[in-house]
Amino acid sequence: MQTKTIKTILLNEWRLLAADRTLRIVLPLFIVLFAYALANGMAWVRFQEHTVQVVREGNVQRTEGLERELAAIKNGAEPSSPFRDPRNANVMGGRRGARSVALDPGPLTALAVGQSDLLPYYYDVSIYTNETTFLQNGEVENPLNLMVGRFDLAFVAIYLLPLLVLAMGFNVLSGEREQGTLALTLSQPVSARRFVTAKLAFRAMLVLAAAIGVSLIGILISGGFGSSGPLGRILLWCAALTVYALFWFALTAWVNSLGRSSSWNATVLVGAWLVLVVVLPAAINIAAGLLHPLPSRVEMITAQREASNDAVNRRSELLARYLEDHPELTGGDATDEPSRAALAWAATDAVNQRLEEVSERHRSGRDEQNELIRRYRFLSPALLVQEMLIDAAGTGDSRFARFQSQVRAYAGQWQSFFVPAILAGEQMSADVLPTLPAFNFVDESLGDVGQRATVPLSALIILVGLVGAGAWVGLGKVRGAG
Amino acid sequence: MESGQESRIENTSEVQTVDESETLADSAGAAVAPVLEARSLSKRYDEVDAVVGLDLRVGPSEIYCLLGPNGAGKTTTIHLFLGFLEPSSGSAHVMGLDVAEEPLKSKTHLAYVPEQVMLYRNLSGLENLAYFAALGGKESLPTDRLTEILGEAGLQADAVHSRVSAYSKGMRQKVGIAIAIAKEAGALLLDEPTSGLDPEASNEFSELLEQLKDRGVAVLMATHDLFRAKETGTRVGIMRHGRLVAEMTTDEIGHADLERIYLEHMHD
Repeated sequence: MQTKTIKTILLNEWRLLAADRTLRIVLPLFIVLFAYALANGMAWVRFQEHTVQVVREGNVQRTEGLERELAAIKNGAEPSSPFRDPRNANVMGGRRGARSVALDPGPLTALAVGQSDLLPYYYDVSIYTNETTFLQNGEVENPLNLMVGRFDLAFVAIYLLPLLVLAMGFNVLSGEREQGTLALTLSQPVSARRFVTAKLAFRAMLVLAAAIGVSLIGILISGGFGSSGPLGRILLWCAALTVYALFWFALTAWVNSLGRSSSWNATVLVGAWLVLVVVLPAAINIAAGLLHPLPSRVEMITAQREASNDAVNRRSELLARYLEDHPELTGGDATDEPSRAALAWAATDAVNQRLEEVSERHRSGRDEQNELIRRYRFLSPALLVQEMLIDAAGTGDSRFARFQSQVRAYAGQWQSFFVPAILAGEQMSADVLPTLPAFNFVDESLGDVGQRATVPLSALIILVGLVGAGAWVGLGKVRGAG
Repeated sequence: MESGQESRIENTSEVQTVDESETLADSAGAAVAPVLEARSLSKRYDEVDAVVGLDLRVGPSEIYCLLGPNGAGKTTTIHLFLGFLEPSSGSAHVMGLDVAEEPLKSKTHLAYVPEQVMLYRNLSGLENLAYFAALGGKESLPTDRLTEILGEAGLQADAVHSRVSAYSKGMRQKVGIAIAIAKEAGALLLDEPTSGLDPEASNEFSELLEQLKDRGVAVLMATHDLFRAKETGTRVGIMRHGRLVAEMTTDEIGHADLERIYLEHMHD
């Protein structure tokens, strides 16, 4: 009986929606928006893939250039400049031989650009790599994009999908009451609870079919299915979308159960959207910035300049101190006259140490900001779903932090390889090139992503449960059409 | 009706003052189990008593007309039988089922035609009938049978597939009756069903009620229309201030008697 009733209501919903001109316009409009957002995300992925390709080709070209010049020098040719002599360790390990390392786009970047247009996804690693390297993004980006985020599928899902849900559900019960059909409906053996649930379930199926359908098409077109471990990420993406949409459907059911007019419902629901999706996330971000301000980049640059000037003036002293701190690098003999390269390295190291202080303040301020946002994200389902969507896409903070951490470690390996040679004044040859440290990014596992998603997904499910319980109780009280 | 309180119940020719346990309703329902039954049914809104200690029985093939002015409690009584309202005390029963305890089960035996039958405007009469009949448990009725039912209810054949937005009130009422016919419910609740209908449509409506009565349906109809109540009803009850103040069988009174009794109670 229950199944038949639900089937009857679903069938009637199909008839009603098919006959409703408004929804025939709104739903295709959203599908167009989804498609546009997808195209936008795919354009970004193509740009990022092209950039990564160029960066990697640069590595090959630089290595080939060094090989050619070293071979020529071996055959008697002079280096193009004494300051660019690739036989010097500080040149081969410096900018001439720098290795560019890049992070491939996340498996579902086409769906959610996330932090990938904000955080650097490639670095030039050399002996001069320091903390300022990690604070700079080589891309020139439209500031409006950086401020409000790109119009991608995640944007549509987080900001606009709730509006579609509200448009389809704000009058699910009040509309029936206002047009007079509720009395006839509730005189049949069906409760308001089952009636509204079935109606909203049908609308939820339409909305989710559109949102998930476009997502899957996007993944298919962008080749996401071919990348490693996409299934878990796709499932997380779909689960986040589903639970988020269910939250808004549950909210519409709750508001409808209060027995007010459709216009009242619409006002309250749009107000809830404004507060939960726009105002609260913005307020939390502003509070994070005010309570835990970051040192400015200008301060970082000023510190770098001051440290550089100071280091240049005190290079000999710095080198002596450096060798005292690192006796293993002297080979037991620190009495030789230091080379120009060794003096330069000592100055570089001193600058790096000074910058470390500022960057540490920057890091800790950023950590405190993130902690505050993490603590208060439970107030806004939009923040929770955003975290999950961009994490599922592989464009969240965590993947970039992982990349940065591995690049930092790689920079350490690079320095460890070249600095002893600089201090010892060793000459480099083409034979060294194949033995240089290589960067291999170890991407996060699905387990890492799943573990991070557990808390926001659970929180969102609890929110759906709470709001749904409110709707359940409220609808249980609806007995008649009055 | 409050316990121990006496009610003044009239029959055809004389005014009787009897205890509630001896009402005409009792005698009418004594032989056959009632389809609709109110037992000391009361509904109170804040400071207002909408229905007070109502005892009422409607058996199969009976058309019981509830008369009374606006605010007398007629619609509230119907809504209590439908389970739209929760009684403050007492109980409403449909086919022996307590409406408050088994609201959905009791509705399987009920059909309801409100004063304004409002349907889905973007759907046709046939589609509306198919939907509400299916909701009422008759999901397997074929289209031919549904069309036939609409015809039985008096809807013109050319209107069957038209959108309801183009229907008159009378046509919508006919679809409402068609829904009741399709449901084959044991009881029919009507709330001012002929209000706003032209005389011809009202007559057609009365004929339909007669047919339903002949099929054994128990009908409880709230109405202002004394003439229609006398012509169509088998019994008439007069409500005032939430109380059933008079009850009579229509066979034994004339139009003038009914009007006189009604007006007497309205001017008490």
